[in-house]
Amino acid sequence: MINKLVTNETGPLLKRRGFLKGAAAIGAVGAFPAIITRRGYAAEVPVVVNSIRSLSNPYHATWNMGGAAFAKSVGAEYVTLVTEGNSEKGIADIKAILAKTGGNCAINIDPNDSPDARPIVEACKAAGAYVVTQWNKPADLHPWDYDPNYVAHISFSGVPYGKAMAEALFKAMGGKGGIVALGGIESNVPAIERKAGLMDALKANPGIELLDFQVANWSDTEALEKANAWLTRFGDKIGGIWAANDGMALAAVEALRADGRAGKVPVTGIDGIQLAVEAVLKGEMAGTVAWDPYWQGGMGLAIGFAAKTGVFDPAKEGKDHREFYGTGVTITAENAQSYYDSNIKAEPSMDWNDIWGRASGQIQYS
Amino acid sequence: MGISLANSTVQTQAETAAKPRAGRFRAALWAPVLVLVLLCAIITVINPNFLTFGNFVRIGLTAMIPLVLGIGATFIILMGSIDLSVEGGLTLSAVVLSMLVLNGANANDYGLLGVLAVLVIGGAVGFINGAIHVWLKVPSFMTTLGTWFIGVGVANALLGGMATRINDPMIRGLAIDRFLGFPWGVWVALACLGVAMVIQNYTRLGRYIYALGGGEELAGLSGISTARVRIAAFTIAGVFYAIGGILAAAQLGLGNAQIGNGRLFTTITAVVVGGTALSGGQGSVLQTFVGVLIVVVLSNGMVLMGVPPSVQIGVQGLMIIAAVALSIDRKLMKIVK
Repeated sequence: MINKLVTNETGPLLKRRGFLKGAAAIGAVGAFPAIITRRGYAAEVPVVVNSIRSLSNPYHATWNMGGAAFAKSVGAEYVTLVTEGNSEKGIADIKAILAKTGGNCAINIDPNDSPDARPIVEACKAAGAYVVTQWNKPADLHPWDYDPNYVAHISFSGVPYGKAMAEALFKAMGGKGGIVALGGIESNVPAIERKAGLMDALKANPGIELLDFQVANWSDTEALEKANAWLTRFGDKIGGIWAANDGMALAAVEALRADGRAGKVPVTGIDGIQLAVEAVLKGEMAGTVAWDPYWQGGMGLAIGFAAKTGVFDPAKEGKDHREFYGTGVTITAENAQSYYDSNIKAEPSMDWNDIWGRASGQIQYS
Repeated sequence: MGISLANSTVQTQAETAAKPRAGRFRAALWAPVLVLVLLCAIITVINPNFLTFGNFVRIGLTAMIPLVLGIGATFIILMGSIDLSVEGGLTLSAVVLSMLVLNGANANDYGLLGVLAVLVIGGAVGFINGAIHVWLKVPSFMTTLGTWFIGVGVANALLGGMATRINDPMIRGLAIDRFLGFPWGVWVALACLGVAMVIQNYTRLGRYIYALGGGEELAGLSGISTARVRIAAFTIAGVFYAIGGILAAAQLGLGNAQIGNGRLFTTITAVVVGGTALSGGQGSVLQTFVGVLIVVVLSNGMVLMGVPPSVQIGVQGLMIIAAVALSIDRKLMKIVK
């Protein structure tokens, strides 16, 4: 009988197919115990979940560190979900983690795009999990319509910070001269808001002239190209460079360096990444704004976790604790050293119980 | 009798076909150069600053990386394959370099040894590409797609999302220090072009690459070891991508996992605009050089001319179509896919 199996005409083919099928079956069976045992732990401390775009940029990498620190402080299991810029993946991953934990989790999410927030919030409500969203959501989706599962939405207004950076730049230039500006992806809300802030500052400062505005799509490579072309087009007329984020600002500094003018022409960015703060310390950049992604990653979880474990009832909180602006830290030469020492050289110490400490007002939709 | 008549007709047909063919081929070869000259003329008319030495230096700085990447890609495309792993190889090289030479994140200071290590790694990635492609018979599109993501993934895992500043003066000097007015990096890129031309025109490997592109079955039947040629070509391309990574890290002064973003498109565009056919067998690294210049001059020129940002992408798309349409030799390509 064994002979028949082996010496069959389709013998080898059948053997390989059969082997593959058997291996697949064993693999599938092997995965089940992991899923089953996880459900067994579902009744304990809620799982805390961070969902972000990618781990390959300093902003989200720091966000992740903050989340891990919070999870460690309360002894909760910590999961990081990465969307890689793919909305469908983001939503699917959330549904998977809701199923895996049986809804016993607190989720902190930076949605890949605004429309994603709605299906995610609805899935969380249906599963009984608590969710906090940041940055992106539709204007008509409100946490108070999904009590108590949709705990809060946090965002940062780009307009005042774009304006603050422009003003820091003008101050470093002595109030007169020509500037060039690098914008982010044209359809992104932060890019639009920060540019609006820059335009406001320009209107209030007639001594400064905007020579050109170019879109570099948040990319350092594109910013470097545009800065190089500007140096040809305007040369010495450039008195300062405003960039909508730190990556582009640092690339502009490199273009100036190749021209021998790094440190002589002030540059501002936004995001507060380590290299930018170091550039401010060195005098090559005039300022940046730190959103403190460590706080965003950790406090977003802390708020959801506190709601899930009954520390407060979201339904009883005012609207300025449900949909609020966080506080950015403007970093210029004056406070760069102290910011660097307390947030970058050392792992920041955060009071995770102070959940409303940085709420600075309800979000206004115009 | 009948046979010799047929033979002579075939011969005369071949002769008459060869002469006008040679003329047409040369026109298509020169089209990219004409496009480049035309572009420079238009930009100069609108903004005479284009023709200053300082601007040429900046164009050189911008073009040096796509040139080196394009050279590597040209060897692969000449064979009729495609190499999508440009960004992966470049990112991995830049990140490893930023961790080995004097930097702001650890105490390493390997200098030239670090550079050599990076070149070896680049070659190894290229070798893996070629090996998987040849021995597992995975199409080059899939293999290089996988290596692209593996390269970026490893770079990401090494840095954990952060960026490492490079402080080594030799590496930074590639972008800052000048020789005869141009930064050292530009000379490195031109030296790579020279080496590539030698490989392409004066070595057996170069000839074999063309042979594989023109007709792989024939080449195989004629006794060329297609496996060895493929693997060698991918390895060489990998080394060029590593050089591109070193130049990119030098230019931006840091290594991070996003340093490669968007470069694949520029590379393939430059190769195609230069006149190298994606189907293989036609083209050269010198044509890629012209293609890179066209792409870089156009984007430099658009800022000089004050073209609004929202229009610039559209213009680049138009340029790609125009340049390829002009440089294709339609007699040689009967079937277009």
